[in-house]
Amino acid sequence: MTKIIDLSVKEKIYKSKKSKLSILNNFSLEVAAGEKIAIVGESGVGKSSLLNIIGLIDRDYNGEYTLLGSATNNLHTSELAQWRNQKIGFVLQESALINSLTIEDNIKLPLLYAGSGKKEFKPEDFESVINAIGIKPILKKKPLECSGGEKARAVFARGIIMKPQIILADEPTASLDMENRERIVTLLFKMNREFNTTIITVTHDLEIANRHDRVIHLESNSKCFAGVMKQ
Amino acid sequence: MKRSLFRLTDMLELSIAYIICFSLNLLLDYAKTLDLDAYILKAFLKNFIDCQSLIVSLFTFIVIVFHYQMLERRKAEIFCRILVGGTVFNIAIRYMLDCITVLFFVYLLLALVNLHLGFNLASNFYLVLIFVAYILISARQVRKYENF
Amino acid sequence: MKIFKFIVSKIFLRKAILGIGVMLLLCMANYITFTAARSILSTFQGYQETKYVNQEGVYIANLDPDSHIDMNIIGENGTQAVYDYLNSNFKYAFYTDGFIVSVPNSDDMEISLGYMNEQYNRLNGFELSQGTDLYFDYQLEGEIPVLIGKGLSKTYPVGSTIKIEESVIGRPLTLQVQGVLKQNAYHSNYYALNSKTYYNFSILIPVNEEFINHASMDIQLNGLMDITLLDTSKEEIANLSEIIKDNLGLRFNFFSQKENYDYFNEYYLHSLKIIFITTFILLIVITCLSVWNALVSVRLMLKDFTINLLVGLSYSKLKRIFYGYFGMIAFINVALISIFTAFNRYGCWLRKDATFATYGLFGLIGMDWLALLSVVASDIIIGIIIVESMLWKIKKVPISLGVLQ
Repeated sequence: MTKIIDLSVKEKIYKSKKSKLSILNNFSLEVAAGEKIAIVGESGVGKSSLLNIIGLIDRDYNGEYTLLGSATNNLHTSELAQWRNQKIGFVLQESALINSLTIEDNIKLPLLYAGSGKKEFKPEDFESVINAIGIKPILKKKPLECSGGEKARAVFARGIIMKPQIILADEPTASLDMENRERIVTLLFKMNREFNTTIITVTHDLEIANRHDRVIHLESNSKCFAGVMKQ
Repeated sequence: MKRSLFRLTDMLELSIAYIICFSLNLLLDYAKTLDLDAYILKAFLKNFIDCQSLIVSLFTFIVIVFHYQMLERRKAEIFCRILVGGTVFNIAIRYMLDCITVLFFVYLLLALVNLHLGFNLASNFYLVLIFVAYILISARQVRKYENF
Repeated sequence: MKIFKFIVSKIFLRKAILGIGVMLLLCMANYITFTAARSILSTFQGYQETKYVNQEGVYIANLDPDSHIDMNIIGENGTQAVYDYLNSNFKYAFYTDGFIVSVPNSDDMEISLGYMNEQYNRLNGFELSQGTDLYFDYQLEGEIPVLIGKGLSKTYPVGSTIKIEESVIGRPLTLQVQGVLKQNAYHSNYYALNSKTYYNFSILIPVNEEFINHASMDIQLNGLMDITLLDTSKEEIANLSEIIKDNLGLRFNFFSQKENYDYFNEYYLHSLKIIFITTFILLIVITCLSVWNALVSVRLMLKDFTINLLVGLSYSKLKRIFYGYFGMIAFINVALISIFTAFNRYGCWLRKDATFATYGLFGLIGMDWLALLSVVASDIIIGIIIVESMLWKIKKVPISLGVLQ
């Protein structure tokens, strides 16, 4: 299997005026294409920080990171932006929508930044995504006019619209009811099955975590990566 | 402070905004009284004195910006207060009282400066009316955040 | 451009109050800078002009502020006696203007007449765009050579004649156009260097001894108020002061080059310093308020920016968008100030105010363009401060998924 993520973090430090917090000490992670990984752990151990690093949002850490065979440490900010646009999809909680835009504009937001390196995108692609997710009736609505489940699906649609190779999901079901939770998880795994998309999910929900190929337990002050290969 | 939407920095920001507007008006009033020999200075100041009300009124827009951003940032807090038993009416009244208290103290301070310089106290009064209007309008916005 | 349009219309303009805030603050900063720059430039132009007059051995007359003009005492004989004394003992530059006369012209302006003698023409004469310079050895009975402003040159080209009923000599005069003044030819007021009279609708009549001898008392007295004595000394001037006092009952001061310089340093330099410092302080206050407004904007739009950064917007692109947005606001402001100024200048044409009517690109004269340039320079500085503060604020809270939760 092709290795698409090769991350090795010596440490990630958060500094404030009064304190200094060191997390992800000597943490390393290798992910193969098409793998489904869940990251679990207590609040504050660095789950979202890890996702920030993998998603090329945060480069302020001590370590090395190779994504899709390229070292990312020396990439220019505009190249990082392009990678986030083309190769990574973020599926976040339902609050991660711009309230002043319609649901349709929110979903199409990544297309705006696709630029010259744009993958060929046809209107049918958009149609197929919204039909698959079932949000056609709310496209013209603003986020504040939608239910939590509808917003969560809109966030999901935005995350997959560019058909990314990796989807990073940060507690995507945290505030959803059972029905909507199941819907989102099913959609995530469908992406994995149909397009061999790599899925990395941060969650507190062990039931969802256990449905992934691998579950990584992050522990506070852990010096080593604690990973459990689930079969 | 516990019942108020205001924090110390908000109080300071609002006071500074009021002080800037009142001081500008005061400065232009002062410029009017200057017996300048220099024609060039007179001509320069005339450009501002001639449209004093317009300039000061436009400057009061910073107070609108303050009210707007203050309430936008307090959306969640207003909602939470309502959740735990507060009412929109009480929150709006409290908000108005806080703003008026700050306005009162700033006006008092500037009135003392006016008296010291021998200016007419009424020259600043139109600003008080403008600011009270801003407070009333912004207090109505509190209702907007009833449903977060 | 698509991204710029999107961010501006869907993010910035959705919180229009903040945009209007920046716009108004910048508008005030621009108005202050523009007014100050024009005052300073106009004073500088006036100062450059006085340099021609401010030379060794040159004395400029000025009526003593404590001396009152009593028209009952002053008579035609008195002023003539002063000029007789001046003609026989001094070399002097004579200039006076502001005498209004009706002369048909395409813009229907009232025409102002100016009078200058040969010495004045040499010392501080006008540049011409057409024709030849004045000559002064003419006869009052014949055609008098004159210079005209650009506004009259269409109706009265070089070589044409103008017949006027003129009050100074008190009889009809025939003037022949000798030359046309350069566009926006002006003279500054010696005692208010930042104020000017423009000569686009003026006729400049050369003055010789014969003219002065036949002229009315008004022009003789007016000319005396600003008379400039050349190649002379304090002692010689003392006698002239006595003659003026005896004949007209007026006390005149005559200022030397050194006294003029001292006056300039004490009076104008001081005023310019005050204008500069006041403007600087006001600009700092406005810049601080603009930065506060910008940081408030970032605070309220942080979530929107973060989502855009997540889906592919880069910091460098965001920076360009901020500069573009600020540039757009600055451009609107500069355009507004230009329109306001052009409208003011056009007002002089509507009011038929011949001494302030000017020509220029889009109605603005050179001094306005220079002042606008200083506005643009101040906008660039303010813009850099605001945009960099916004970026600093955004980077201070690094984009992270946490911002969105």
